[in-house]
Amino acid sequence: MNFARICNSDRNGRILKSDYSGRSLRVLPFRRARGVRKVRVLSELNVGESGILVALDLPESVQNHLMHMGFLPDALVTTVRRAPAGDPTVYAIDGMEIALRHETAEAIRVRDADPKIQEMEEFAEAAR
Amino acid sequence: MSSSCCAPPTFQEPASQAEGKLHTIVLIGPPNSGKSTLFNRLTGLRQKVANYPGVTVEQRMGLMAGVGRDDLTLIDLPGVYSLTPYSEDARVAVDVLKGKMVGTPKPDAVLLVLDSLHLTRQLMLAAPVLALGLPTLVLLNMTDLMEARGGEIDPLKLARELGAPVAQVSAVRGTGLEAVGLFLNQHSNGAATQQLTLPVVGNAASTHSWATQVSRRTGYRAPLSAENSRRLDNVLLHRVWGPLLFLLVVVAVFEVVFSIGQPLSDGFGEVLARAGALVRPLLPEGWLQSLVLDGAWKGISSVLVFLPQILLLFLFIGILEDSGYLARAALIADRVMRTTGLNGKAFIPLLSAYACAVPAIMATRTIENRRDRLATILVTPFMTCSARLPVYILLIAAFIPNITYLHGFLGLRTLVMLGLYVAGFVAAMTTAFLLKSSILRSSDTPFILELPQYRMPTVRALLMRLVDRARVFLRQAGTVILAVTLVLWVLAHLPVIHTQAGSWGIPDLANSLVGRLGHLIEPVIAPLGFNWKIGIGLISSVLAREVMVSTMGTLYGADPGTQALNLQTALHSDMTLGGALALMIFFAFAMQCTSTMAVVRRETNSWKWPAFQFAYMLVLAYGAAFVVNRLVTAIFG
Repeated sequence: MNFARICNSDRNGRILKSDYSGRSLRVLPFRRARGVRKVRVLSELNVGESGILVALDLPESVQNHLMHMGFLPDALVTTVRRAPAGDPTVYAIDGMEIALRHETAEAIRVRDADPKIQEMEEFAEAAR
Repeated sequence: MSSSCCAPPTFQEPASQAEGKLHTIVLIGPPNSGKSTLFNRLTGLRQKVANYPGVTVEQRMGLMAGVGRDDLTLIDLPGVYSLTPYSEDARVAVDVLKGKMVGTPKPDAVLLVLDSLHLTRQLMLAAPVLALGLPTLVLLNMTDLMEARGGEIDPLKLARELGAPVAQVSAVRGTGLEAVGLFLNQHSNGAATQQLTLPVVGNAASTHSWATQVSRRTGYRAPLSAENSRRLDNVLLHRVWGPLLFLLVVVAVFEVVFSIGQPLSDGFGEVLARAGALVRPLLPEGWLQSLVLDGAWKGISSVLVFLPQILLLFLFIGILEDSGYLARAALIADRVMRTTGLNGKAFIPLLSAYACAVPAIMATRTIENRRDRLATILVTPFMTCSARLPVYILLIAAFIPNITYLHGFLGLRTLVMLGLYVAGFVAAMTTAFLLKSSILRSSDTPFILELPQYRMPTVRALLMRLVDRARVFLRQAGTVILAVTLVLWVLAHLPVIHTQAGSWGIPDLANSLVGRLGHLIEPVIAPLGFNWKIGIGLISSVLAREVMVSTMGTLYGADPGTQALNLQTALHSDMTLGGALALMIFFAFAMQCTSTMAVVRRETNSWKWPAFQFAYMLVLAYGAAFVVNRLVTAIFG
């Protein structure tokens, strides 16, 4: 499956929730096979981890608001810290720090930040 | 180099078509771009604050005296990220820009403020604004920080790319503002810009790619991200130190508001009373003297005495907000506030309400979500404000025996006082929960909190804020308070009975209209254990809660039966314990504050919400007082 397809937006800039065959991609296969980028949700990133934003599964108005704050497809997001109570979490995106609650971050899909490094690591692991 | 105005070549050439003269300029920019500071710089103190018709968005206007152009009106639009109408703020901004807002003239030129530290993202607002085709000057703010942190920006290239003049400014330092004057002068002379290439307005993604391209082509280099802010956050948002420091800040603010604010308020009250006494001989004795001094001046003084405390609170909120800590406080408090359905941004306003609901309600402006903001405004008056204290202190001293437990560590009086604070807090939280799960439910609007970088607040910005807030309070609350004061005076002095000279000074409350009103409502309040005198006190305390104390003083002082006793003893002989406790609970829950209602009306822009709030709180207060009176009477006889 080519995950680049998920990033494509329709003419209005919305991120489609289905691939070209019309299948819903709301639940994504979490395969770890080589060559397939792992898609996770933002809330799963540990502090210090980065991800590339894939899609926002949020109502259109919220999605639009977040996009204007920098939450755009292909943007690099880094989890900076969690609030003392464990939630909300502060994310760095586009030079800004923005805090989101778990329920919002859960609806934002990300892929691993640097697949090349990831692949190299996996290769090294396999070689060992 | 901190201030350089750069215009594209096309801008310098006088255009063929001469536009009319400039009248109205609008200022627009994203949140946290330093727009308000710039507005204050450009207008000075000559501002007008009102609400746009039909919405809760604040309209700020001012003459551009700061750049020597007081023939021009500057309108400050709310901070928005885009012109997509995702919020009430953005809808207002679009309407004003397009000249569709009723009562607001169509703008002739636009000043677009962008934070140069995050230019790429900020440029996303430039596209739709420039596409409107109005003469626009782009102001790149925070130039001082940009230089300090080693960012790079080429205003000339950017101006060429955007097809609009660009100037680098620092609103905090006040540098580069001469570019604004230059821009306005050129346009006043009829030199209108001809924009050849307007950016195409598209969706968020396409606008972002346009912004990225522009910033890349103009050689923009973002400054090093604020390591200092992050290092400071390592401490201020630390798992252990974060909440501790947060508590420390809260306690410190309250310590100062009460330990410095209270004497200041008392002193101010003294000054106001002296001023009244000085004026007294100047006025002819009789009804006019009584109306002006015992009516208007006394009533207004009773509200004005809160001004030092209110201003002190605003000063602290201002420091918290301008330094960037307010957002961190919201982040720390969010987890707790969420249980009530509110969010972290409601914490500081609710906290401020322990001193006074008026600044608290004005501080809810930082809550963007309209429903969350309304819910916060509606529960704020439940928090135990300082105007309730004189009433509590009087009643507790009169009715609660001075018994101590645990070897003198815990007094019964302290416990009762604490209980009243808890009652108000519980009522606020329960009401918030009820509102957020019924009429003000907003599940689809998530909590999004931008953490701005820490900055040193400037004295100038803080002073401007204080003057502005004081003005709003005095004008909004002042007019309503004056009206209520005069009505109460008339009620207390009619019908006219001439028994002795100087009877204008001390009104015969018992036989006046307000006295009759007190008798009239006695059957209604009798189940709560209140007599007609308390009824009069309740009516007069709609002005401000602590007026109750002085009214009671007047009433019992005028009564021959209780004249010789002090107020506590007089009350004790006239009320049961049940009635007294019921009265305290009534004060904890009822909305007896004209200033608060005036401010709620202003902030919600309708009488609907203050009316709802008044009715809800009155019903709750009546019900609770009834239950307390019955319970206490049943238990203690």
